Amino acid sequence: MNLAVFRHTVRQHWVRLVAVLIGLTVWGMLMPIIYATFGVTLRDVIRQYPLLEQFMQFGGGSMFTLPGSIALGYIHPIAIALLAVFAIAYPLSVVAGERQRGTLEVVLARPLSRHAYLVTLFVAATLFIVVSIAATLIGTAVATIAVDYSAELDFGNLPWLWLHGSALYVTIAAISFAASVSFDRVGPAAGITLAVVLISYFLQVLGSLWPDAEWLQPYSLFYYLNPEPVLLDGVQPVDLVVLGVIAIASIAYALFVFPRRDLAAPA
Amino acid sequence: MSVIELRGLTKHYGGGRFPPHFPPWRRRERVRALTDLDLSVQQGEVFGFLGPNGAGKTTTIRLLLGFLHPSRGSGRVLGHDIRADSLAIRAATGYLPGGIALYDTLSGEQVLDYLARLYRRPTPLRAELVERLEMTRRTLRRPVRDYSRGMRQKIGIIQALQHDPELAILDEPTEGLDPLMQNAFYDLLEARRGSGRTIFFSSHVLSEVERVCDRVAIIRGGELVALSDITELLARRQRRVEMRFEGPPPRLDGVAGVSAIQLRDSLLTCRLEGDVGQFVAALRDVRVVDLTIEPARLEEAFLEFYADQAEVAGNGADDGDEPPAEPSLAAEVRS
Repeated sequence: MNLAVFRHTVRQHWVRLVAVLIGLTVWGMLMPIIYATFGVTLRDVIRQYPLLEQFMQFGGGSMFTLPGSIALGYIHPIAIALLAVFAIAYPLSVVAGERQRGTLEVVLARPLSRHAYLVTLFVAATLFIVVSIAATLIGTAVATIAVDYSAELDFGNLPWLWLHGSALYVTIAAISFAASVSFDRVGPAAGITLAVVLISYFLQVLGSLWPDAEWLQPYSLFYYLNPEPVLLDGVQPVDLVVLGVIAIASIAYALFVFPRRDLAAPA
Repeated sequence: MSVIELRGLTKHYGGGRFPPHFPPWRRRERVRALTDLDLSVQQGEVFGFLGPNGAGKTTTIRLLLGFLHPSRGSGRVLGHDIRADSLAIRAATGYLPGGIALYDTLSGEQVLDYLARLYRRPTPLRAELVERLEMTRRTLRRPVRDYSRGMRQKIGIIQALQHDPELAILDEPTEGLDPLMQNAFYDLLEARRGSGRTIFFSSHVLSEVERVCDRVAIIRGGELVALSDITELLARRQRRVEMRFEGPPPRLDGVAGVSAIQLRDSLLTCRLEGDVGQFVAALRDVRVVDLTIEPARLEEAFLEFYADQAEVAGNGADDGDEPPAEPSLAAEVRS
């Protein structure tokens, strides 16, 4: 861990961080508001059409309960895209991107080990992610109180949701770092990371919409973020363990590969 | 004391044995970027490391700094092993990469501050470097994205030297600098040498190497082809002599170092190699009207090593870092 690199990376990304925090706070507020406005009416309409009801339970969430609505917001592509700024784009830009631009060699010409550099950036990515998830939850909590649906939400489980959400996106960041240290250019690293995330998302959505494809879901990272059960029952240890193992394996790979790679001059 | 000591340093890429299932498109030809480099750079030297693009200069520098891992051989920089003690080497070294990239969103001052913080050393030379390279405070406060190439290069030089490193490794340091700034930079190197600091200077601009370096290594196709004092190298070169005289012509037959004598009326031309003492002595009884001895140039020395450009290209010594062509050197050699 290197404080100078940490301060530098925070300063380089603070505008992005503020934008993402605002976006996720607003997004977090929308779910209780939408539920309060349309949820109950929608539930009565949709329950007359079983196929449509299945469709509305997209990705493990649902529009018919407040925890379900919040869950839906968590796994919605908009939330994923906002969180991908720090879970995918950031790791790609600070290793493969800096490598491609040539700034990495200026930094690594200093007495800074590649281990320390990578650990610092991973800590920064983790910080950005946990703060972003917290912003979403704060938005959700504030809106729930504002629309007077507090009775339908166990606020004591919100920290568990924060933990589960952080675990998923930190795992994605770890995979992104693993890809980023493996290539000298952003393109291939981004391709691999996006492939993992998009295939994962596809498997999760497919399994949630089509019962015959449910067996595919455990192969998806998103399967291990199940917000509704977390909001209803609290922590889901198995999910955290699976994500933890994948994150640790990915970052261990990155820490093993990065110092051993030849860093040729940037093209 | 040796600041840089390399023994049989070798870097090869690709090649080797591939398992049968390894797809053909992933089998890379072996590239010999650097082969068995033996080199010793002494403290307080300005050492020129010369060669065209693709000769292995940048590969050598990157091996010294731990960016690349040697295929075989060993090296010590400031007493530290290049494989095991890379951090200690970098702590005492200033590095200017060729075509330096900087953080465009930061100002020049912020870039220098950030890179200095990573050294955890004071920056006693920053003010002097800023002044000599004519970087005003106003310029330093502008974002790097607004800088010209020359200004970026100045920031590169300042970041490499501001902490007064024991060893400065400079890769093509005058690229993008105007002639005035080049002179200012040469003065800076002189000052560093005067302070006992060591400069490892990679370039393909022969005139500047001739001007600032004490010793020079010439690398071709990843192999060292010459290592010599600049003065020694030049002393071995033949100089062209042109002399006008009155009266009987001088007797230069048999004078050591004199060759290719041509006499036409009162004009004598010849080639002179090595010590001029005997040549001057031979002119003792001659009434010389005009005498021109053209100085030996490093370009001519290079001509020997790089005359056969086709052979160089044929050796395939491209380290992958740099394009294989060598227009600058070739042009300069021809000129």
